[in-house]
Amino acid sequence: MITDFPNSPLPLPNPADLDDELAALGGGEIIPKAMRRTLFPVITKEDVFNLMLAQRQAPEKVVADFAEAYRAYVGAGYALPTASGTSSLHMALVGAGVRPGDEVIVPAFTFIATAQAVVAAHAIPVFVDVDPVTYCMDPAAAAAAITERTRALMPVHVHGLPADVPALRALADRHGIALVEDASHAHSAKIGDRVAGSFGDAAGQSLMADKNFPLGGEGGIAFFAEEESYERAVSYLARHGIDYGMSWVAAAFGSSQLKRLPYYDEIRARNAALLGEALDGTGLFTPPHVPDGHVHAYNMYRITLRPEDVGLGDLPVYAVKEAVHELLVAEGVPAREWQNTPIPCHLPFRNRDGFGNGYPFSLNPGAVRDHRPEDFPVTLGMLDSTLVLCRELRSPVEYERILRYADAFRKVARRPDAIRKLVEDRDYVRPYEKAARLG
Amino acid sequence: MELFDTATVLTRVLTSGVVMSIEKSDRELPGLERLLTKKTGRSKAVLLNSRTGAIHAALAGQGIGHGDSVALAEPDAETSAFLAWLGVQVTSYDGPAAYDHIALDPANADRLGELAAGATAPALVVDLTGLGFGPAAAVLTDDPRLWARAERLKIFGAYDLRTMWTQEEADAELVPGVQFNYRLSPLVAACVRMALTQAARPAATSGATQS
Repeated sequence: MITDFPNSPLPLPNPADLDDELAALGGGEIIPKAMRRTLFPVITKEDVFNLMLAQRQAPEKVVADFAEAYRAYVGAGYALPTASGTSSLHMALVGAGVRPGDEVIVPAFTFIATAQAVVAAHAIPVFVDVDPVTYCMDPAAAAAAITERTRALMPVHVHGLPADVPALRALADRHGIALVEDASHAHSAKIGDRVAGSFGDAAGQSLMADKNFPLGGEGGIAFFAEEESYERAVSYLARHGIDYGMSWVAAAFGSSQLKRLPYYDEIRARNAALLGEALDGTGLFTPPHVPDGHVHAYNMYRITLRPEDVGLGDLPVYAVKEAVHELLVAEGVPAREWQNTPIPCHLPFRNRDGFGNGYPFSLNPGAVRDHRPEDFPVTLGMLDSTLVLCRELRSPVEYERILRYADAFRKVARRPDAIRKLVEDRDYVRPYEKAARLG
Repeated sequence: MELFDTATVLTRVLTSGVVMSIEKSDRELPGLERLLTKKTGRSKAVLLNSRTGAIHAALAGQGIGHGDSVALAEPDAETSAFLAWLGVQVTSYDGPAAYDHIALDPANADRLGELAAGATAPALVVDLTGLGFGPAAAVLTDDPRLWARAERLKIFGAYDLRTMWTQEEADAELVPGVQFNYRLSPLVAACVRMALTQAARPAATSGATQS
């Protein structure tokens, strides 16, 4: 049986391990290879029982009950369960009134689904740079991209940190356009007492099994502030014969998991706080910034490097990052890049074939740009200087694991000499000069 | 499928700890693909989370997109609406069909092989929703290019998750355009697989009826 207790719990850290040689140079590993795997999602006996009970109910009721329970949790007006995060974003855009050929402003740093959902709505994604501190959509960049054909702003609460909703809301209101959230990373994230998914005119959210709030496989949900928007999305599906239906199997698993979501949230917050405190003491690493009043959901945890603070300021930051990445992985920390190129520079937005023969880009050629990575300097700077932890904050009871991650960062930060030698020995290139990656 | 059987399948998959379609250790989706290819005699399968996703994949797999025309047996109103949304026109009922369509339910699930044998189009769309676990479908084909394009439509990447979404293009003709998440849940796949397996099982004879 899979439970939230690991089969082989890690022992608590040993302070002496920090004085050991780096694992990449032959020393001991902070997390041994046999103990590196983390399980997600957590599946308990109760989940199994709840799925068995669900099969005795009408499928429509299982899905509707899930959608209503989660809508109430988020505090949105209306909810439309869907088959995936992408389809939920598509429905959020349609519900918000986006029509073929309209322009929708999206951040250049996000998962590609944000922009593909705009194309799915037969509209044109217009990419803007992100804020240098939060890595969410920069309201000033968004303001500069608005044209007469802009129908919506679509910020992403990237990694689980709510975007600057007050500024974006004011901008949208000033221009009479919609605010559509991509809340796919932001389950339970908040600004004040309000939960992500309830901020905008509409929102879409992924519920796939790798998210902080997982369904049984794939799923998504669209939220709407007004009934009219909800009805617009529902009638769109019927009018176009599109089946975005959620499986009752996925929904039943979600209903079961929803009961434990607040517990998961607390554990992630604890893990983030523990790790953040450790990183702040290293000099080299900085934890994610969380503006006052915001609650970060930590679907991912993006760590910024400051080479200048440990005497490596003369080296290119991307090279220091690559070296640190190698050293951390050797210690057993699954740090990643998670994206290395702005989304507009990925093939689908360079080719712009869309549904075929260039549609819907052909509807509004004036909105189309041939982008280079350099068009998004803040995004590039972030990709050069940051590393990400993904599932690693989410294993609910592995207190020992997060302590060991913290120790691994401490151990690597103590060795600028090893970082410098790696940079000198290797031929690192900037992230975007490698093949574009999403994961 | 009996409630007891469904419970058994769900328990088995949940106990494995793998419910994610992008999980490398998932065995349910490849298992259903193998079963469908075996039953239909086609070499490749694409699993999707809906009938309309499968229609989209069948057409995109052949490079048929917005502004193109296809031959199809007269589609129902819902399919016509979906094709119109894709921007694909149905102009002829005479030529070779772009895809064949089979909808399975508990009453005909045992006839998948027979129904597939009569299909001649490059792509065979099999709607699995009627089996009762939620929207589910597959595209079966012998055309590796059609399969590769369809896979790209349903997942974000030039290749697949085994390469962690690398978008580097090796084959310039396999150009990703719009991409959806049309992925099927392993839990749903496991239930569908069990339903299809049971549908093919010969009826058991009881002692009372044996002569």
